[in-house]
Amino acid sequence: AVARCQLSPPWRALQASAVLRRVSDEQKKEPLASSSQQQFDSHPADHQPEQEPQGPRPSYTGQGGQESEDYESEEQLQHRILTAALEFVPEHGWTAEAIAEGAKTLGLSVAAAGMFHSDGSELILHFVSQCNTKLSELLEQEQKLVQLGEAEKKPTDQFLRDAVEARLRMLIPYIEKWPQALSILLLPHNIPSSLNLLTSMIDDIWHYAGDQSTDFNWYTRRAVLTGVYNTTELVMIQDSSPDFEDTWRFLENRVADAMNMGNTANQVQSTGEAVVQGLMGAAVTVSS
Amino acid sequence: VYHVFESVAKKYDVMNDSMSLGVHRVWKDILMHKMNPFPGTLLLDVAGGTGDIAFRFINYVRSVRERQLQQKLKHHQNLSWQEISESYQEDKSKSLGDSQVVVCDINKEMLKVGKQKAQHLGYSEGLSWVLGNAEELPFDDDKFDVYTIAFGIRNVTRIDLALEEAYRVLKPGGRFLCLEFSHVSNPVLSRLYDLYSFQVIPVLGEVIAGDWKSYQYLVESIRRFPPQEEFKAMIEDAGFFKVDYQNLNSGIVAIHSGFKL
Repeated sequence: AVARCQLSPPWRALQASAVLRRVSDEQKKEPLASSSQQQFDSHPADHQPEQEPQGPRPSYTGQGGQESEDYESEEQLQHRILTAALEFVPEHGWTAEAIAEGAKTLGLSVAAAGMFHSDGSELILHFVSQCNTKLSELLEQEQKLVQLGEAEKKPTDQFLRDAVEARLRMLIPYIEKWPQALSILLLPHNIPSSLNLLTSMIDDIWHYAGDQSTDFNWYTRRAVLTGVYNTTELVMIQDSSPDFEDTWRFLENRVADAMNMGNTANQVQSTGEAVVQGLMGAAVTVSS
Repeated sequence: VYHVFESVAKKYDVMNDSMSLGVHRVWKDILMHKMNPFPGTLLLDVAGGTGDIAFRFINYVRSVRERQLQQKLKHHQNLSWQEISESYQEDKSKSLGDSQVVVCDINKEMLKVGKQKAQHLGYSEGLSWVLGNAEELPFDDDKFDVYTIAFGIRNVTRIDLALEEAYRVLKPGGRFLCLEFSHVSNPVLSRLYDLYSFQVIPVLGEVIAGDWKSYQYLVESIRRFPPQEEFKAMIEDAGFFKVDYQNLNSGIVAIHSGFKL
């Protein structure tokens, strides 16, 4: 018992930061199940206090792999609840109520929603992270087709347009409640995570667009694309045209503008540097 | 323990107010807010004799339900009169949305005071009063959504048994919430608190309730109770997950929370 007390605090902190990191890293890693299984198997001495072998839970032994049906980490269960909660978002919004309904469908008590922040932040972050993962998979598949010679490599502006459109289309089922989600993502305690998710997504898109730059262009490209994505998202939430055609046209124009920007190198350089400095400063301030 | 509370029952609420200068109400409100119960929740309040938590639960759930109904009405703008009248009938009979609270206490006197209070304040539906021992609850497994014990667990002889019982009667996904006096880490505040506890409280006990001994016992039992981290470990031992605590008033009171997953 004494040893456990000493272990608890650092492991709690580690676990908490790990969850947040995992949320943003999800798009890069394999599905959570295998990564946490690996962790469990390779660090039997280090597992979190509440998963040590105790009387009522004999399945929580070092042989995590064999007991995989019983064993589920807290994070896995939380992800399952959040995924189940998504279908209730159109009705209840991004709220603890949606999470409670989601928990109910998994056979859990509605009190399980108490595990999450009452403003629905985790639900939104979970959703954004899921969308980013889906986008990565989509772009990965497209890239494979191109490599296999089964598809044509798209010109950059077309590629960017399609990637942003694909990502924004994932919002369509939840578009009515999306403004609520955006405002919650801007809350100070959510900004580190939401910024993280945004920048990794933009990074991904440029990566698959074939961006090989190692100079300041890297920053400019990301800043520009972030601007395009954010503004298009805002246009989309108040767009009432059939199948959001106004939004896609807006997107086309913005991407075209972005391409033209490359032609006025000097202007771009100074704007880019200023924007970059602003973004980096914000990111550093916020992450520290 | 039984006799202490027998003599204390009638003046319990008054003493609470005077000892904590009314702050205990805030603590209990914070507990309710943390619980954030939705209509349809089944709450077990153990050692909840005089019903403070139970009444707050009912109020909370009622207001959430009202808000829910208002939201629903907003979406149903084009209903016929028939449909509207039907929905009103349905809502009237479900003002609590099937939420229920069972108040369990080891002491008959405390329950009696609680029942009287409920009648006096007009709480009728959704309330049950059961005589029972926290170490051996008279309920089936997997029954409740939330288990609370407010300022009761330090009076339990075998805390580990009470925690195991809590685990047993909760549904999967259910939540354990404990509001209890705990350890103050701030040394300055700790000195002041000790002074207040040992000098002022028994005196108040004598003056208001005519009972010095019981309140001396109270203060001593607070000091004997394990500190936050140790209690958290005990809760984890019982099988709860995501165990955490929140200090109120820098540790004078702490809310511990755990989930049965």
